[in-house]
Amino acid sequence: MKRILKTTVMLAGLAAAAIGIAAPASAKEGKFKVFLSMSYIGNDWQAEAANMLKAMAVSPGMVDKIDLQVQVAGPNAQKQIQQINSMVQAGADAIVVYPISPTALNGAVKNACAKGVLVIAYDSIITEPCAYNVHIDQREWGTKSAEWLVKQLGGKGRIVMINGVPGTTVDALRIEGAKEVFAKNPGIQIVGEANGMWSQAVGRTELSKILATRSWDQIDGVWIQAGCYTAISMQLEAGIAEKDLRPCAGEASNGGRIQMLPVGTEVEGANGTYRPVGARRWSSGSQNFTGALALKLAVKKLQGGDIPALTNVPQNIVTNDTIKLCKEGTWKEMSEGCNVFQPAIIPNPGWFASIYSPLTPEVGLQAALVGQPED
Amino acid sequence: MQMTERLEPALRGGTAARKWRLGRDRGLLTAAGVLVVLASIILSVSATPLSYYDISQIVSSGTPLAIAGMGQTIVILSGGFDLSAAAVISLVNVSLAALPPDAVTSPGMLLLIGIGIGALVGTVNGALIAFLRLQPIVVTLATMFILQGATLLVMDKPGGMIDASLGEFMGSEVIPGFLPMTGALILACLALWYWLKATPFGIALYAVGGDAESARAAGIATRRVRFLTYVLAGGFYGLAGVCVSGQTGAGDPLVGNPMLLQMFAAVVVGGTLLGGGRGGLTGTVIGAFVLVLMVNILLILNVSAYYSTIAESTILLLAVLMGALHRRSELAENLRRAGTRFSAWREGVLAGQRTTDVKRLALPRRVEGVPVSGERQGASLLQRLGRSRPAILLALPAFISFAVVLLATEFMLGNTLLNGNYYNTLLVLSCFLAILALGQGAVILTGGLDLSLPWTIALAGILVSGMAAGSNAELIYAVPFVLLVGALIGLINGTGIVLLGLSPIVMTLATNGFLQGTALIYSGGTPDGFAAPLLRSFMTQRVFGVTPVVIFLGLFVLAAVVLMGRTAFGRRVYAIGNSARAAALSGVPVKRTVVMVYMLSGLCAALVGILLSGLSGQASLGMGDEYLLPSIAAVVVGGTLITGGRGNYAGMLGGVLLLTALQTLLAGTTFPTSVRSIVYGVVILTAVIALRERR
Repeated sequence: MKRILKTTVMLAGLAAAAIGIAAPASAKEGKFKVFLSMSYIGNDWQAEAANMLKAMAVSPGMVDKIDLQVQVAGPNAQKQIQQINSMVQAGADAIVVYPISPTALNGAVKNACAKGVLVIAYDSIITEPCAYNVHIDQREWGTKSAEWLVKQLGGKGRIVMINGVPGTTVDALRIEGAKEVFAKNPGIQIVGEANGMWSQAVGRTELSKILATRSWDQIDGVWIQAGCYTAISMQLEAGIAEKDLRPCAGEASNGGRIQMLPVGTEVEGANGTYRPVGARRWSSGSQNFTGALALKLAVKKLQGGDIPALTNVPQNIVTNDTIKLCKEGTWKEMSEGCNVFQPAIIPNPGWFASIYSPLTPEVGLQAALVGQPED
Repeated sequence: MQMTERLEPALRGGTAARKWRLGRDRGLLTAAGVLVVLASIILSVSATPLSYYDISQIVSSGTPLAIAGMGQTIVILSGGFDLSAAAVISLVNVSLAALPPDAVTSPGMLLLIGIGIGALVGTVNGALIAFLRLQPIVVTLATMFILQGATLLVMDKPGGMIDASLGEFMGSEVIPGFLPMTGALILACLALWYWLKATPFGIALYAVGGDAESARAAGIATRRVRFLTYVLAGGFYGLAGVCVSGQTGAGDPLVGNPMLLQMFAAVVVGGTLLGGGRGGLTGTVIGAFVLVLMVNILLILNVSAYYSTIAESTILLLAVLMGALHRRSELAENLRRAGTRFSAWREGVLAGQRTTDVKRLALPRRVEGVPVSGERQGASLLQRLGRSRPAILLALPAFISFAVVLLATEFMLGNTLLNGNYYNTLLVLSCFLAILALGQGAVILTGGLDLSLPWTIALAGILVSGMAAGSNAELIYAVPFVLLVGALIGLINGTGIVLLGLSPIVMTLATNGFLQGTALIYSGGTPDGFAAPLLRSFMTQRVFGVTPVVIFLGLFVLAAVVLMGRTAFGRRVYAIGNSARAAALSGVPVKRTVVMVYMLSGLCAALVGILLSGLSGQASLGMGDEYLLPSIAAVVVGGTLITGGRGNYAGMLGGVLLLTALQTLLAGTTFPTSVRSIVYGVVILTAVIALRERR
């Protein structure tokens, strides 16, 4: 009995200590209480999107209006459901969410809406009708990228497909769109297909597996959701001349875009295969500013404005004709058409370069890198 | 069976006379205490008071984890391990969502379908494990892959509709304003459990988990008990799947998967011992809610995103540590021992402090005609092979299956058997798992599990790329430093497990969370720097058609075989795996060896991080994520017993080659992911069935 008592006293003490540490999270007067529920933070895309969103929250027009709190749910939908519930309970005015699942959150979102909380999703989708969505048309991403590749190959050739995370809507829509185009061109033969999990590292091992029984001579083009940079690097390592690089359609990593610049372009900080090689590329990203845009729209709605249920962000497709190096990466400079950054500023080639939107002049390169808004 | 019935009264009597003792229920009480603390924090700090509605929502979101965790607990109590649990939840979810609209509109029917699917999977698992005597971890790993494939076959992306009646049923209230339906479901499951626990089956379950041999000797039909355990557990997972479906109203093929590790955490926090025989389902339910409440706690404390995994791991560790704060815990034992040692040292009576002269017995000089150990070399090759026959038999299945996969690749893709490039690529890709298998394998041999691999790998890669920053000269100190960091991570793991007496699963899971936070904070969300050119060539260039790392791999394998098979360290690892107690009594420094095993694992993971960054040219945050399950799979497919004590590195290497070759074969095809996943699972299963150890 004594021991139980001792344990109880100890637990109570601990509880008191914990309460002492915790400062009550109260909203400051007159500000909207906005929560961000992120999914996984272990990759570049998510980190960048979150940085841009945080920059938007402290941008001059926004900083007096909202109080933003960021939470991470990891890859677990159950946890995100619980998170959304507790955000509603904590008195949220709006919840910006990167939805882990387009369907699993529906119940929680519906509850939130019923309590008058605005729910807005970025990049991925929430299918519950009361939620707002901001994203690019992923199916269109699939068709446009595939059409470009087919055109490059003149309608005939052997291609390799490296997909994303199986079982996700984004991956399924992109594959669906691309395969529809490939099916219409009987000259296109898919000789290998693997799941790259939207990671340059996994893309590399998967592509290596395909190349174990095939050489580059037997591959005419690459369709890869994230990892053209890797695919081009592997060809260079295999001794393929720059002019013979296979065309590659894929995401918007800065490394991949630097490789699109014509051979001989002056860049600072080039290293290894992270240099201009004139690779034939189609590059378009799941836009990193969608989170920031979602926040902006949420505030507009909270202030009584009107926003559409679905904001379909246009694709920002970059090909060899439109590739242009940024000097500083301010929003203004990007609005004049530059779309890739110096390796000296972005030492990580896997970093996503799709950060420009005419809709978000508050955020530029500094926002994506360190969460600082434009001046 | 007759025996069981005869034993029954005696066993019954035992339980009836059982007195309430703190020791037995300590795990449960600790978990309950932690839950109370968390709940009181939430209640007192929350900005707005929690209404019944809020609490019922918390209960609802915790229900799937709680119920699935209960199933997992039953399996663990019986001494098993079930990796297929989370996959069942996804399968049930998509199956219900794929039903034609209005086909089934009664919640009761949907419940039955869900539980039925789960029980069916459990039947398959149970039959393979109980009647074919296969290892639970291998079987459930294989069924996990098969189920994930089947799930994607049913639905390749989120969608579908689940009849609204199920959502209404799950959201309804049994006692308005007091008990939500989900809470009632948990209570119903617990009631079922307490009834079951008192039946002969329940008693036999604990007996089998406690010591299967003794249970069999006592006349318990161990096979039947095992079989039923998996069927029952499957039913629980199915029910959890139905709960998820009711909550979400639609299907998502990935919805269950991340719940797997959480489930194990819930079981351990709830006070159930891995390895079987001790614990219970009530604890798991409490453990599940401890995990669920963490979400609220993090929100209330407003922990910043990069620190959230660190905060979560801290709470997890504290929760489990409280269970270690009692008089007979590992920690207390250790403190007492240290105290005794210290006072002995002060009195100068420690063995090492004695200044007595060394009195060694003088060995006689060599006597003619008596063979000295060195002459064993004279043994013929055949004799030597005969001596290592058990080891070869253990490793053989994996290698035979590897050969079969090679033939299949030649047949399906061509250009394989005589293609040097194929073997080179295969070996380069295998090197990561081969290295991880040594560390993870040694950990598994001692009966543990290292879940901190993913972020040890990532942190190592990030550190080495950041320090080297694309220059060769920096490698001289960067590589040793990063390896040291890996060993240090292992030291922390090992110390937590040995000194604090924490379960390896919880300790390494928490370490993984700490490392993830550290990596995020260190890199600011985007790692920079490049692998040094030397490291890159090491992984990607060819010298006479061979990538340098392949040579390195050869040396590594040699060293690993010697380490595990020919050194005192290796022998101790096996001894501990067979019986830690027997090992300790035979003078094996158990604690030191266990710590060293985790250090080895950390070292291996750091090495993989370095090599992986060399292959990719730079590090990325999640780059270790894809290696955790494969590292376990390779080890167990290679013939290692998850409960420890049996297995060898050659077998693990065979497992690595088999899995990598299989993936290579599948990548060369255009099968959809669903089919690949099923093929992957079926091959693993066939390999272990066809070549299993026969008695």
